[in-house]
Amino acid sequence: MIQKKICMLGSFAVGKTSLVQRYVTSQFSEKYLTTVGVKVDKKVVQIEDQEVKLMLWDLAGNDVFSPLNMSYLRGMAGYILVIDGTRIKSFESALTIYHTCQQKYRQAAVQVAVNKVDIQEQWEVTDAHLAQLHDLGIEINLTSAKTAQAVEDIFIKLARA
Amino acid sequence: MDIAAQVFAHLEMAVIKVIEPSAFELAGPSFWWLERFFFQTSPSNATLTPLETSPFFDDFLEQSQSVWRSPEQHSLTSGPWIEVDDAGREWPFDAQAIHDHGQRLLLITHLGASYAERVEILQSSRERLLDNERLEAEVSRRTQQLKEREEEVANRLLAAGGYRDQETGAHVKRIGLYSAAMAKALGWPPLRIDDLRVAAPMHDLGKIGIPDRVLLKPGRLDEDEFEIMKTHAELGARILSDTGIPMIEMARHIAWSHHEKWNGMGYPRQLQQDEIPIEARIVSVVDVYDAMIHKRVYKQPIAESETLHFIRTSANTHFDPRIVEAFLDIYDTIKAIKDRVQEHENDQPSPF
Repeated sequence: MIQKKICMLGSFAVGKTSLVQRYVTSQFSEKYLTTVGVKVDKKVVQIEDQEVKLMLWDLAGNDVFSPLNMSYLRGMAGYILVIDGTRIKSFESALTIYHTCQQKYRQAAVQVAVNKVDIQEQWEVTDAHLAQLHDLGIEINLTSAKTAQAVEDIFIKLARA
Repeated sequence: MDIAAQVFAHLEMAVIKVIEPSAFELAGPSFWWLERFFFQTSPSNATLTPLETSPFFDDFLEQSQSVWRSPEQHSLTSGPWIEVDDAGREWPFDAQAIHDHGQRLLLITHLGASYAERVEILQSSRERLLDNERLEAEVSRRTQQLKEREEEVANRLLAAGGYRDQETGAHVKRIGLYSAAMAKALGWPPLRIDDLRVAAPMHDLGKIGIPDRVLLKPGRLDEDEFEIMKTHAELGARILSDTGIPMIEMARHIAWSHHEKWNGMGYPRQLQQDEIPIEARIVSVVDVYDAMIHKRVYKQPIAESETLHFIRTSANTHFDPRIVEAFLDIYDTIKAIKDRVQEHENDQPSPF
């Protein structure tokens, strides 16, 4: 069985843990519970005639209290860069993380999840911001851990990559 | 139990000797949770064999090999990670690989209550950060609304002036854009740049008070007429006075001083050098540039090269030499604005 390490990266409170929980257990909670350190979940998916075991590394969100620990990324096949569409700062943080990862993990596949699409009317992230990501060659997914929109797709894309 | 063992037991820290890369030996008290990571034939047998069931721990063991193999003293810390048991309960751990004076050790700590405290502190800190972000966003949204209202007021003032002036909407728009580009090149902060973009087009607002026989005269003005025309600077300043709005205050400075000259030979107050507000010194250069290269009822357009020559040679007399230098530095941007904002937008008087 092929095994792939996928890291969840992004600012704090953007919904990294919620996306993993939605994908792995089909559950969602409105309550924000901060992640400290790392939690690894597993999910086996069938890609054509091949089983792929995804090791989903849910990393603590980055902020002044908890900078990104690069050693956690060792051996990752891909990563999901999560942005909270309602918080412009999470977009800026995602760009910084992306450029940091590009220095050492250029080969890793990347998907952006602009999360909380269920409340898109409250978004601060605009089409111009999304165009900025597009110009970097990053695939953008508008997701909602709450409604499950595009959640499975994004993990499957990385399983296929 | 010796003191060290008591301390390790209290800290819930398993001390493990690394015999060889995949052979470990317990060197302190045993804990039930070690079963998550190692196989132990019996509690009395100190030999531990990694189970390879925890992706995080396995990855850490792999990274730790470089520490244990290194000829120098070295250590590596895993940072906290969480294991989940079959009942869904979370168990937080931390690990350290140490190589010190030939001793190779692996320390695994069950974080327990200290982890819960850390989570609680971080949770409240992050909730505060989220509140601050929301407040900042609200302030930024309201500032933007205020700016939009100010710009609306400015546009209406310009429209009022434009009914009588021959200047076109494209001209005033270009003056705003040129000025903003200049301010950016001079390193102004974004909010002030935006103020200048809106304020600069109001430089000739005082012409609203100039009689038609002077303002709309097709030919050259005689001396008396020119004296009347010169009053537009002060008239504009009066119209824009006492608002308490920084952008309008900036517009007042520009209206009053954009005909002043660096050498003190301008009007209305014969200010010189740094006595002339910098925003007026900027508008002075770009207004002359735009007026020279475009056709007017009283003149044909002047070639770019000739216009640039005039501006260059007027540094230190008519214009602030630093502003001229900045203008020439960003001339490509200035020209791009000129080409982009053309008269077809408006062959009619003033602005928007």
